[in-house]
Amino acid sequence: MSTLFVAGMNHRSAPVEVRELLAAEPDTLRDLLRELLDRGVCREAVVLATCNRVEIYGVSAVPGEARDAALGRLGRARGLDLADIHPHLYTWTGAEAIRHAFRVAGSLDSLVIGEPQILGQVKDAFAIAQSAETVGPVLHSLMTRAFAVAKMVRSETEIGRHAVSVSFAGVQLARKIFGALEGRSVLLLGAGEMGELAAKHLLEQGTQPVYVANRTVARAEELARTLAGIALSFEGVARALETVDIVIACTAAAEPVVRAADVRAIMQARTRPLFFIDLGVPRNVEPAVNDLDNAFCYDIDDLRAVVDSNLRERQFQAERAESLVDREVGRFVARLRDVEVVPTIVSLRDKIEAIRRAEVDKALARLPGVPEQTRRVIEALSQAIVGKVLHAPIVKLKDSSRDGRGRRWRAVIAEVFGLRDEGRSARADLDS
Amino acid sequence: MNAVLYDVALTAYIAATATAIASLTSRREILVRLTRWLAQGGWIAHSVALVLRGAELGRVPLATLPEAISVVIWAVVLLELWAERRFRIPVLAAFVLPVVLMLGLALPTELRALVLAPGVRNAWIWAHVVLALVGLTALVLNFAGAVMYLLQERQIKGKQPSSLYYRLPSLEALDRLSVRTLTLGFAFLTAGLLMGAVRVGTAWGGALAGDPLAMLSLVAWVLYAATLSGRMTGRWRARRAAYFAVAGFCVLLVTLGAGMMLQGHHGS
Repeated sequence: MSTLFVAGMNHRSAPVEVRELLAAEPDTLRDLLRELLDRGVCREAVVLATCNRVEIYGVSAVPGEARDAALGRLGRARGLDLADIHPHLYTWTGAEAIRHAFRVAGSLDSLVIGEPQILGQVKDAFAIAQSAETVGPVLHSLMTRAFAVAKMVRSETEIGRHAVSVSFAGVQLARKIFGALEGRSVLLLGAGEMGELAAKHLLEQGTQPVYVANRTVARAEELARTLAGIALSFEGVARALETVDIVIACTAAAEPVVRAADVRAIMQARTRPLFFIDLGVPRNVEPAVNDLDNAFCYDIDDLRAVVDSNLRERQFQAERAESLVDREVGRFVARLRDVEVVPTIVSLRDKIEAIRRAEVDKALARLPGVPEQTRRVIEALSQAIVGKVLHAPIVKLKDSSRDGRGRRWRAVIAEVFGLRDEGRSARADLDS
Repeated sequence: MNAVLYDVALTAYIAATATAIASLTSRREILVRLTRWLAQGGWIAHSVALVLRGAELGRVPLATLPEAISVVIWAVVLLELWAERRFRIPVLAAFVLPVVLMLGLALPTELRALVLAPGVRNAWIWAHVVLALVGLTALVLNFAGAVMYLLQERQIKGKQPSSLYYRLPSLEALDRLSVRTLTLGFAFLTAGLLMGAVRVGTAWGGALAGDPLAMLSLVAWVLYAATLSGRMTGRWRARRAAYFAVAGFCVLLVTLGAGMMLQGHHGS
């Protein structure tokens, strides 16, 4: 009897020294997947290999063997001994495997909960398995459902909404102050790498123009080119401060380059807020700026505190996501059981329909020249009888699949109605 | 029947207020939905009650101050349900419903037959009541916007984001809500007070000073006028405007309380 399983290791169960032994290229994966099916250890297989996890999703009568075959093959080139990695492995089957698949795709099992890359990685793994033709009906419905659940987690909870990097936290704060950032102007002071990154994030949100100022004018002009901005001399900065909305400071200056007294004077003349993102160490903006009405100033530690808080918020959202996953696992298990009896229902219908068709044709052949109306009555009569006879067994099949006795009833129905193809595999199920 | 419906509405509003406030700190989606259902349910019961009341009286139930406040509550809840969706501020209810509740509980449960002296009942008075009512409705939302602005500003300045920070919209959005509702509320309040003042000369014989509601309304009007002109001329920043909006609304509440409690020309 085949079961759905997932087995492997992740960033929690295994250290990087172990995980790196199993790193794999897409081509290797394709060969591996084919081999698993050819050797007959799996009926279906998908292998997910990222820097944080190596997992095999499969349908197999011998999940443990399939797992060892897959991982052993992956680590062979690097001299991996399976006995060494066994303590780091986990294996889930049935509903737990489904839950694991949903949690991984939904980024609930990630190192940084809610990070968006994992869904793409799962999709890639699925695509590789499809190209290797190792995806069957079970993994196909599991994976497509996992993608849908991941999407649901993202839209129904705020799990991925809050930034977990310092530079992006600055952008989100700007959004909490200014709302949409389209058309907001930015001043970038200094040429530090983090400043450039923050400016790029802001650009992606539609801010413009971006003014760039640096002690060396050549560097300012170079940065202005990459950011599609306007280079300013350091004298131009004072004027720019009066009009811009967001200031990113990331200079190597030993003293603050923005003084609270200057900002106070600027704030007198303007009604719009002014937001300083100070990424410099030592700080580039005097902290007293934050005390001025309508001026906000976050230094690097403030931003880190926001990131910490965002991570806690993600944790709360993850709890909501877990209950969503619970619900979806329940639904999927029910559906999977339906899937198990669907082939029987289809062949049952096909068989009876074939009988009906043949008998009706025979009868009509014996009645040449009957009016169209009589033909129609005979058709309807035969259809009604077939429908009513089939109703009870089909309902029984569906019900039994939901309370977990689908296999037995599948075999019984196949036996009783003499469904040949179905019968053979179903009898095997009865025996197992 | 009528009194029962008012009680149902009030109970639903109380429950909605509780779930709305709980939803500020809890992250349970269900609380937000529950709040909306309760508020909608209460509003429907309230609507039916108002219609029945009108049928019973044979006129629009707006002729006395308690009646007018009841209609204000009805309009505020309607506006809140709309604005919550329109501006995508699911926490709006937590700031509007407590005000609704305060007004609702201040109302005498049994609406006594407090009717204006027949001599002053005419078109001018209806205009006065309706205009002031629309103004008051907008100013309830203005108050909620101002409170949310002050809280969010404090969250951002304080650099210790709590669950409020994540739930409240941007300062820009809150400021926009405040300015719009202030403009609207002030315009209607002004027109409403003018209508009232016109009547004063004829009906009360110019005895404006004797009416507490009229006097306090003027104080509130001055506060709102200052806020609006400060904002419009760009001399005031959003935070100061928010403080004044809160102060102005407190005076309005005192005004209404005084109107119901104290002897004057507004029908108590």
